[in-house]
Amino acid sequence: MTNNQLSPSTISQSKIGRRKWAKPAVYAGLVVIMALIPVFLSSPYILHILILTYIYMIAAVSLRTITISGQFPLAHAAFMGIGAYLAGMASKWLNWQPWFTIPMAAFVTAGIGVLVGYPFARLRALYYAMGSLFFGIGVIYIIYAGGVWTGCYAGLTAIPPLLPLVTSKVPYYYFFLGLALGSIIALYRFEFSRIGTNLKAIAQSHLVASSVGINEGWYRILAVGVGCFFVGLAGAGYAHYNQVLSPVSFNFMATLWLVMYVLIGGIGHFAGPIIGTFILIVIPEFFRDLKMYSPFISAAILGIVVYLIPEGLVGLSKMVRSRFTERRKDTWAVNAS
Amino acid sequence: MLLEINGLTKYFGGLVAVQRFSMQINEGEIVGLIGPNGAGKTTIFNLITGVHRATGGTIKFAGKDITGKKPHEIAKLRIARTFQLNPLFGDFTVLENVSASFHLHPRSSLLDIYFNTATYRHNEASILERSLEILKLVGLDKMRDELAKNLPHGHQKMLGMARALAVRPKLLLLDEPLGGMNPNEIDFTISAIRKTQRQGVTILVVEHNMKIMDLCEKVIVINFGQKIAEGSPEEVRENKEVIQAYLGGKKVA
Repeated sequence: MTNNQLSPSTISQSKIGRRKWAKPAVYAGLVVIMALIPVFLSSPYILHILILTYIYMIAAVSLRTITISGQFPLAHAAFMGIGAYLAGMASKWLNWQPWFTIPMAAFVTAGIGVLVGYPFARLRALYYAMGSLFFGIGVIYIIYAGGVWTGCYAGLTAIPPLLPLVTSKVPYYYFFLGLALGSIIALYRFEFSRIGTNLKAIAQSHLVASSVGINEGWYRILAVGVGCFFVGLAGAGYAHYNQVLSPVSFNFMATLWLVMYVLIGGIGHFAGPIIGTFILIVIPEFFRDLKMYSPFISAAILGIVVYLIPEGLVGLSKMVRSRFTERRKDTWAVNAS
Repeated sequence: MLLEINGLTKYFGGLVAVQRFSMQINEGEIVGLIGPNGAGKTTIFNLITGVHRATGGTIKFAGKDITGKKPHEIAKLRIARTFQLNPLFGDFTVLENVSASFHLHPRSSLLDIYFNTATYRHNEASILERSLEILKLVGLDKMRDELAKNLPHGHQKMLGMARALAVRPKLLLLDEPLGGMNPNEIDFTISAIRKTQRQGVTILVVEHNMKIMDLCEKVIVINFGQKIAEGSPEEVRENKEVIQAYLGGKKVA
């Protein structure tokens, strides 16, 4: 009796039986809580941390979009830097309005991402990782070489703010909450449509994927383009929020942090980078005295997560749930016999 | 003439994998391709489907030259294949494996997909319906929600064929479809192949199992990348060169 009861068709039926609105309700609840935060916590410092969290959330989720196609980019922070510097320079030197520089920077970053990705997209394995790694380092040197235009080592300063007449952080908070929500929804649609299915198919077996007519190279480029668009958007938003840009924020270490957000949150799940970013940016703020050790602590967390919960923090709830159901199954089997 | 191969040659470095291989397949036929291990059968499949690029020779499909085209372009012409070692979309369910293979027909544009338009939903519904039809044909409809990597070997092979059928092939290339199957599964697969042929699909099959050879109108035998015999299954079975290739040239005392 036990085996037949657990056949796949029964499982899927029980899934259908579960309440469909439960998940959207949880998400909507979370969004409402985040939207109400400025009402209860008006500390500019907390809002600042959360704004940064939203910006990096966009970057981390867009990194995921590229990784689901089986590519591993190691220049994602550099692309964020491209977006940031493009927006910052266009606004500072050309007096373009932030409302125009932000989308402009996103589109140009996507274009650069596609140009850089094109030669590598037809190669597999580590070539894209290697190529993008060197590209990322190159970007930093170009910023250093930019003289007055990029601000060189000292950084690009006095970038016009997004909201010139506002001193409070609250409007910024809502702007970036909205930007993050919009980007996350857009990327969610991308991943869970047939486009995302094709990307995941290519990642699992490019041989099979191309044998059923999926154009491997084209889809890889598409993923890179979309990923770079959103990271450019995040960078441009950051430029007009922070008003100061330093090349150090976009170097290889910064890319590794983005990779950490994705890995610790869980690489196999869309919510992974969202949770990972939130935890790795917000939690360390409670332990500011230990901030200088944060790379060590994060490395330790990564080690623990990889060793104990390979699916990442997202996998935690699933693990707990499956342990419960397993126990239930056991008692059930005993009762049945 | 559906498929016409002329003087096909492939070198891997200095190694000859296929040498001046020629053959023709008519529409609606089942043709068997046999030969000892390493004879070049899978290489021929890879050359037809564009996984490898031919060193020389031409491949024509329905009158058009398809030599040197990429795998996804070959699939667009409705040439589908299965794989001997049977890679799958392991983390997809059985149903997802097949529906992902409906990439080409019907096709929704990127914008349709992204904005979930009526066209897209209509296409998705028809993909679901047709995927279930194919799964029924290969006998996997009851396992549609199982992860592909968890299936037993024989079922994985059937899933490989289901995936190829989702391309709606005119020409279907089967690479050892019976490899590692038990007798029940073999009988089932053979009946599925027969059904597929009756729907008008031309089939080229690499196989060692003689049961499938008896389905074939024509059998081609290759050894060391060269064709050594061609004819009906009975003719090939009695061909001296074929026996020599399989059993060795010298008498064993």
